[in-house]
Amino acid sequence: MGEVELSCLAYVKMYLHACLFPRCSVNGLLLSSSPAGGAVCVTDCVPLLHTHLPLAPITQLALTQVDVWCAQTQQRIVGYYQANACVSDSSPTPCALKIADKIAEQCNNAVLLMIDGGKMSPDYRVPPIVMYERKDTRWTLKDKHTIMLRQWEETRDIASQLLDSGDHSLLVDFDSHLDDITRDWTNQKLNAKIAELASPANDNLGVCQLGNPVLR
Amino acid sequence: SASLSERSEQMRDKLRKWREDNHRNSEQIVDVGEELINEHASKLGDDIWIIYEQVMIAALDCSRDDLAWTCLQELKRQFPGSQRVKRLAGMRLEALEKYEDASKQYDSILQDDPTNTAARKRKISILKAQGKSAEAIRELNEYLEQFVGDQEAWHELSELYINEHDYGKAAFCLEELMMTNPHNHLYCEQYAEVKYTQGGLENLELSRKYFAQALKLNNRNMRALFGLYMSASHIAASPKVNATVKKANVKYATWATNQINRAYQLAGRGTKENKCSVKAVEEMLESITMS
Repeated sequence: MGEVELSCLAYVKMYLHACLFPRCSVNGLLLSSSPAGGAVCVTDCVPLLHTHLPLAPITQLALTQVDVWCAQTQQRIVGYYQANACVSDSSPTPCALKIADKIAEQCNNAVLLMIDGGKMSPDYRVPPIVMYERKDTRWTLKDKHTIMLRQWEETRDIASQLLDSGDHSLLVDFDSHLDDITRDWTNQKLNAKIAELASPANDNLGVCQLGNPVLR
Repeated sequence: SASLSERSEQMRDKLRKWREDNHRNSEQIVDVGEELINEHASKLGDDIWIIYEQVMIAALDCSRDDLAWTCLQELKRQFPGSQRVKRLAGMRLEALEKYEDASKQYDSILQDDPTNTAARKRKISILKAQGKSAEAIRELNEYLEQFVGDQEAWHELSELYINEHDYGKAAFCLEELMMTNPHNHLYCEQYAEVKYTQGGLENLELSRKYFAQALKLNNRNMRALFGLYMSASHIAASPKVNATVKKANVKYATWATNQINRAYQLAGRGTKENKCSVKAVEEMLESITMS
């Protein structure tokens, strides 16, 4: 199907979410501020849970609240991500498929993204992610050549920097928000930090297609 | 100097508190513990052994095998032949993913002491780490037949069942936990979530009751508050309920809505940070109460 582009902001937050809870499965929603039609541009993400992913109430609550927030901010939910606690198995779980199905009801070319925990070592050269798209009624692996991250090396470095400085603990997922509702699951603070670290965009530098090594 | 021994006192107290609370803040424990061991060992007296144990486990958690190894050697030297130290050696093998060797280690403990619960539970952890959920569940069930009072094990089993989407059995485990811990709001709330997930009118009503119970035990449990709101709303909206039940549930949902609004207004005071989340909740609640 179509091309998918993953922004630095979305990738960094997803990655930090997985790093923040290394012993848990974590999940979240992928958002886009671009209009529907054409390539899917994942411009942001909302980290959701690190406990009891298969249980319904909090997931439903989170989906509803994120829906409302998206309407307020002209964004759409275009996908779902998950990182499994067990790093040896990065395949989508039944609950991942279920939530992705629900998202696909509202969004034609929704994506399901699994973070491959086994490939997250500091010297990884390629983004540790696997993407699925819906073909007929099944989620099938996306062709790597249709997935793009601009400024991959910079993105990867930003993620490492935030880990080293301990700033990844700024990340708030929906679970943490429910533990303390003064904490902001839209992560404005962390977003600002990431923007600070990102240099002005130069579209032609360091574009990474998952199917090829990093281009220069 | 005075301030140096103050510092080591403080660090010692921190470690003790984290031990008592069973906190898994391994990075912090390694930070504090490593300094304490390297620079202030002489001041620790007999505490040093339990600190070695605590730091070793934290070090394994942070892939600091160098530090874990050091602690283990000290403990081996001081307590030769100890089962407790043998278990720590087993945990190190687990951390290195040498599961067969670790299993053998635990088996040797169990040969000498078949009632050693720690070794049995480590063996189950290995199954879990290997992704062998069905086996882990089976072993844990067997374990609980013998050690029926082990809360940690019941909770672990409930988590395993939830991950396997076996909500009925998860509920059973949580019922055990609620029986033996009637004042624990978390168990009530988790039980309610499982019931809600199972779905159907009867389970929804049960979930509403247990969300309410969790709130009675802790009126600041936001999951329970939202859960009450959602379960009551769904019951009220169901075509299968009569007017009385509908009315009652609308009342519960409205009460929950007000409590949620209050909580968010309070939370939103003085912080610009969470304005987005506050607004999202407000709108969500508005939209449901209008329908």
